[in-house]
Amino acid sequence: MPENAVVGSAEQQTPVEQKPDEMVDHLFRSRAGQIVAHLTRLLGPEHLDLAEEVTQEALLKALQNWPYTGIPHNPAGWLFRVARNAALDAVRHRTLTTEKSAELAAQHFRNADKPRAGDAELEEQLRDDELRMVLMCCHPILPQDARVALSLKTVGGFSAREIARAFLADEATIAQRLVRAKRQIRESGIRFELPAGEDLAARIDYAFEVVYLMFNEGYAAQSGADLVRQDLCGEALRLGRLLANSSVGTPQAHALVALMAFQAARLAARVDTAGELVLLEDQDRSQWDRGLIALGFHHFLQCAEGTEISSYHVQAAIAATHARAEHGSATDWKLILELYDQLLELSPSPVVELNRVVVVAKVSGPEAALAALEPLASNRSLRNYYLLPAVRGQLLLEIGDKSGASQCFRQALDRPCSEPERRFLQRKLTQCESH
Amino acid sequence: MAKYMCLLYGNPANWMNLSPEEAQKALQKYMAWGNKLRTQKIYLASHKLADDAGKVMRGKQARVTDGPYSETKEVLGGYYLIEAASYDEAVDRCRDCPQLEYGGTIEIRQVDPMTADA
Repeated sequence: MPENAVVGSAEQQTPVEQKPDEMVDHLFRSRAGQIVAHLTRLLGPEHLDLAEEVTQEALLKALQNWPYTGIPHNPAGWLFRVARNAALDAVRHRTLTTEKSAELAAQHFRNADKPRAGDAELEEQLRDDELRMVLMCCHPILPQDARVALSLKTVGGFSAREIARAFLADEATIAQRLVRAKRQIRESGIRFELPAGEDLAARIDYAFEVVYLMFNEGYAAQSGADLVRQDLCGEALRLGRLLANSSVGTPQAHALVALMAFQAARLAARVDTAGELVLLEDQDRSQWDRGLIALGFHHFLQCAEGTEISSYHVQAAIAATHARAEHGSATDWKLILELYDQLLELSPSPVVELNRVVVVAKVSGPEAALAALEPLASNRSLRNYYLLPAVRGQLLLEIGDKSGASQCFRQALDRPCSEPERRFLQRKLTQCESH
Repeated sequence: MAKYMCLLYGNPANWMNLSPEEAQKALQKYMAWGNKLRTQKIYLASHKLADDAGKVMRGKQARVTDGPYSETKEVLGGYYLIEAASYDEAVDRCRDCPQLEYGGTIEIRQVDPMTADA
């Protein structure tokens, strides 16, 4: 993934005048989200559809005009102005409430040519609009899959088709999910404002869930798979930073951002030039994205400020330990093992236990790891998980039991996994069967 | 050097379903095409025409009707004026215009050489 796919949104917030005829990557997508959020605040959540419609109209106008006129000096300002104009027209046409019309008109004239890059006050307002939008999309009345889809659609500027592609779902299903979610917002009169007290804390937790789910979905995508899936990582990171840097930012938000930044830094190194999977230890660390690692540490330091330790904290600490090691062999496995123990206490899960087994092998050797693996063998939730036999196969290979290992890799190949993972397992199998 | 008018026709409905990201990608292709014409120093002018169908006037009474496009969904979106040595060259310059990729039509007309320099 190109670096700017992940950190691109930061560039739009820096007050650098754009050269004419140049556009920041993902400008349309990220500004679409801002414009929709901005207009939703002015029009009210019940008119979310209208906000989306006029935003789309503005983007299409740009597409029809700019090829002939060139890109305006302030492309984002142009888009805002055109969208606001169209909203104003629509409001007059549909004779929506007069206050809305008046407020829109007032805003329109106040910001006739805005936002200028670098207008701090306005950028702050827009970030606040986006934040409210995310928290509105994460309203508990909506089912979780609707929260994810709606966040991607309204704040992320993804289309229903792109969301469907990213989640390997059917476009009609996603479109329907979005329509239903918007209807629920309308019918339950959900407001475009920050909840207070415990409600706010709960809502932020939901937002973390949405962001983390988005990130994992993108992270699971293999190289060569649809790029839009990797764009999910970029959007998740952007939303995470939005939450972490906002007035409602918590240490947990910083931990989540740190975790995502460390992992995103490794995306490019996960496959080699031939498209083959490269394990963390064997990765060419010079390919790790230094900017993202720095971003990770920046947020990692800030997540230590609270007293509460969440599972995001521990996961971020594990990722930070990997990021600190200059070579795979310099990894502090003992520390990582302690962190896994801590993670198991906070949020026990068989997948975490399996990961811990791999670390046990590093610290105490394959025999100890095989013993630690024993209780997981019959775990029902892992019965379709190819990594369970794959890890066992690797450990058996390390103690020289080639026939046992090859049996395990065969089992792993019978379970669902991606193409590169399949090839990886096949290589292991060949290794077992050689002489 | 002769001048050629490249008229870009398209069906706006083709754009309706583009996502923001796709719209930006399409736009960037157009910008790249236009920039290439400029770098080659054959770009003279370009204009976007208004989205309405326009007006057509006819006869001594100057009867005015709405736009010429009653039969077709394609509308003339705008035009580029470029320099080229021949129709063949003008056609070549337009071969990679994204208008074609997105289902549109390009009509190329030479500005009458008798009047071009007048």
